[in-house]
Amino acid sequence: MNTINKNLYLFWQGTMLSYRALFAWLRPVTYMASKILMPLAQMFFFVFLGSYASNGKNVDFYVIGNAIQITSVSGIFGVTMSVGGDRDAGTLPYLFGTPSNRFIIFFGRAFMHIIDGAIGVVIALTWGVLLMGLDLSHTNLSALGLTILVTTFSTCGLGLLMGCLSLLTANVMFVNNFVYFSLLIFSGANVEVTALPAWMQFVSNILPLTRGIAASRALAAGASFSDISPLLVSEMGIGLIYGLLGYFLFSWFETQAKQKGTLETV
Amino acid sequence: MNAIEISNLNRVYRAQIGVFNRSIKEVVAVDDISFDVQAGELFGLLGPNGAGKTTTVKMLTTLLIPSQGSARVAGFDVVKQANEVRRRIGFIFGGERGLYWRLSGDDNLRYFASLYGVDPAVSKKRIPYLMELVGLQGRGNERVGGYSRGMKQRLHVARTLLHDPDILFLDEPTIGLDPVGAREFRNVILNLQSQKKTILLTTHYMFEADALSDRIAIINKGRVIALDTPSGLKGHVSDLSVVELETFGTPESVLEKLRSLPFVDALSVEDREQKQMLLVQTKRGAEAVPDVMAALDGQRIGRVIVREPTLEDAYVRLVGGQA
Amino acid sequence: MNYGNIFKYWRTVLVVAEMSIRTQFSDGFVLFAIVFQPMIIAILALFMLREKGSDYAVFVVVGSGLTGLWSSLLFVSGNSINVERWTGTLESLVGMPTPFDVIVFGKNLANVFQSLLSMIVSYALAAYLFGYPLSLTQPILFFLTLLLSMFAFICFGLTIAPLFVMYRSVQQWQNAMEFPVYIMCGFLFPIALLPNWTTPLSYLLPPYWAALALHGTSTAMMPFDQLLFSWSMMILFSIVDLIIASQLFKIMLYKARVDATLDVD
Repeated sequence: MNTINKNLYLFWQGTMLSYRALFAWLRPVTYMASKILMPLAQMFFFVFLGSYASNGKNVDFYVIGNAIQITSVSGIFGVTMSVGGDRDAGTLPYLFGTPSNRFIIFFGRAFMHIIDGAIGVVIALTWGVLLMGLDLSHTNLSALGLTILVTTFSTCGLGLLMGCLSLLTANVMFVNNFVYFSLLIFSGANVEVTALPAWMQFVSNILPLTRGIAASRALAAGASFSDISPLLVSEMGIGLIYGLLGYFLFSWFETQAKQKGTLETV
Repeated sequence: MNAIEISNLNRVYRAQIGVFNRSIKEVVAVDDISFDVQAGELFGLLGPNGAGKTTTVKMLTTLLIPSQGSARVAGFDVVKQANEVRRRIGFIFGGERGLYWRLSGDDNLRYFASLYGVDPAVSKKRIPYLMELVGLQGRGNERVGGYSRGMKQRLHVARTLLHDPDILFLDEPTIGLDPVGAREFRNVILNLQSQKKTILLTTHYMFEADALSDRIAIINKGRVIALDTPSGLKGHVSDLSVVELETFGTPESVLEKLRSLPFVDALSVEDREQKQMLLVQTKRGAEAVPDVMAALDGQRIGRVIVREPTLEDAYVRLVGGQA
Repeated sequence: MNYGNIFKYWRTVLVVAEMSIRTQFSDGFVLFAIVFQPMIIAILALFMLREKGSDYAVFVVVGSGLTGLWSSLLFVSGNSINVERWTGTLESLVGMPTPFDVIVFGKNLANVFQSLLSMIVSYALAAYLFGYPLSLTQPILFFLTLLLSMFAFICFGLTIAPLFVMYRSVQQWQNAMEFPVYIMCGFLFPIALLPNWTTPLSYLLPPYWAALALHGTSTAMMPFDQLLFSWSMMILFSIVDLIIASQLFKIMLYKARVDATLDVD
């Protein structure tokens, strides 16, 4: 019991500290601008573009797709910065010098971003209802809420992997931006996955977000929870796989760094 | 005509303290400074960190507006005729920043030359000449990011000579250089001196100021506390001798006791790895040694030397007397 | 700025532009803004607008090229003065006889010039990957418009950079300023889709007039009087921007020399 408590404490500490460290320098205005306004503006852009493309027929398709895609702002950028932040701050050697549970530390980095990302999606959907005529009257809202959480979770899994990769490469923001924008194509947020060439469909299917967006669209169209639960299970599984890959990479990185004595230079 | 004329120059910084209760604190960095530098002179500005040296140089190089008072460089007012001043001066702020690390050394110079309005035909000849002057011949094609610190600092010298300015401001140019790099750098400065450039050099390395300067102003807490030739400054302490003692971990209380002895004019302590060097300034010369030893009773004492004062001792006395 | 300056210092402007391009072509951030992001937007738009037919391919090429131009203007030109401060070169640049706005003009010229890569990449993508036949309806007028647009973008950039330096609170909105301009300037869809109240805002943005004229001369046969009007608007805004910029630079430099903010420490 004591161990569990200790680990819970460690988890919470790591979570709060990394999240606060990330946003402490920001004023509320900046937080608003980069976490709320930027994603919304991006959503509006693609919704208008989609509405132009479909002559105004398919607006809900784009609103939902782009609203859910907003999870990747927290999932990719937020999580990567939390993981990579240790390197930039030079605290990595100290972290690796502690006996604390690596697994807990690692996943603690993502936790707040799941909440943060989910809130972002809810705000985006709300704007969709208020401004873009999104109709959620036939939607099982609790199932939608769960879908949002699961999707955010899986995106954060990818973020954890990206964060570990960021410990290896110098050009973190470049890779992050690239993945973030690529998700706009591959996740089906703006183009039906079935309309993509076969190799792109393959990529879509092994990425997070794709099933979450599909499930959300189905729910908006009136599907029941049991209709979409297989999608959620796979989405969850994909997120876990990415998260674990990230964790193994993180552990490998620690061993390598200790063996080769590159801890100071990382 | 004087190259630099400073009258009653004053500079106040306003710093915001605290994140929540934003109170404003005023710090007087330069407090009513006046002095002149003659054309062709190498003028040293000495002082501890935070004394106001850099602030003074930044006002003279038109990068800061004085709070009060005025200064003229090459006969032009540094605020009202800033552009005339800029045409005639070059400046270096110590350290390796301030260059484009992704560009080669030659490209950096070509860039700055064009900003100084140097005719391309002229800079084509001048860049290799300057690279040789600062000992970077053959390295012009390499990216500056790959240069050593010393090379970067020497490239700064070449940068500042592109437009052949009459007046140079060198603010701690040798900071962070290893002894060999610093010596090479001083040779470059001596070379400039022989070309009759007016140079204002700030440093906190005493021997550097002693070896290079025609005149030195010692500045502390924003004020000029002495201005003389190096030998003139040493004259301030000519009546003194310095007793140097090697000790090991002398506690502060014992140092205080030593400092309070009537025949001790000043005491400074330098840490050298495990050892400490106590520098006792006294008018009594060698006679003071037994009394100093008595005050240090119970401490481990190594070598003891009695010597003539240096510029550093003059500096310690002047600055220490203010503290 | 004293407008004669651009002509008097043309050689300096070119050297600054050259060095600026040399320092930036290996910069991942710049590369992303001018190549990869517009490329991804172009891929998306080509997929999305596929049902509108091959006529829209040129529209997408021009539109996504414009997104690259704006993003790099916002982030690269917008930060052009701050970047010098971070590298520690700002003091050297200010303490020089060349007017500082001439230097920033050169940097923006480089920036806008290299942003044309966005359009080239989108073109290659549409032509070779998607196999669309691409042709411009009014090629000569299009290229004249492009030159004028570049100038308008440079001038617009000159007003943004000092604002970002002087008001950190404005710079905090930088991230949030990228997509709204894509939307309001009609880069990839007509502004007729937007609510009416946004129209006057679009008219106030020089990129709107650039997009209007570039689309008009590439996908349609824009009547010459309308084209002329767009050109006039770009010239008008450029002049206004230059006047505003010259004041902003004066205020910014004086303020920086009073507040001691030319260097970061």
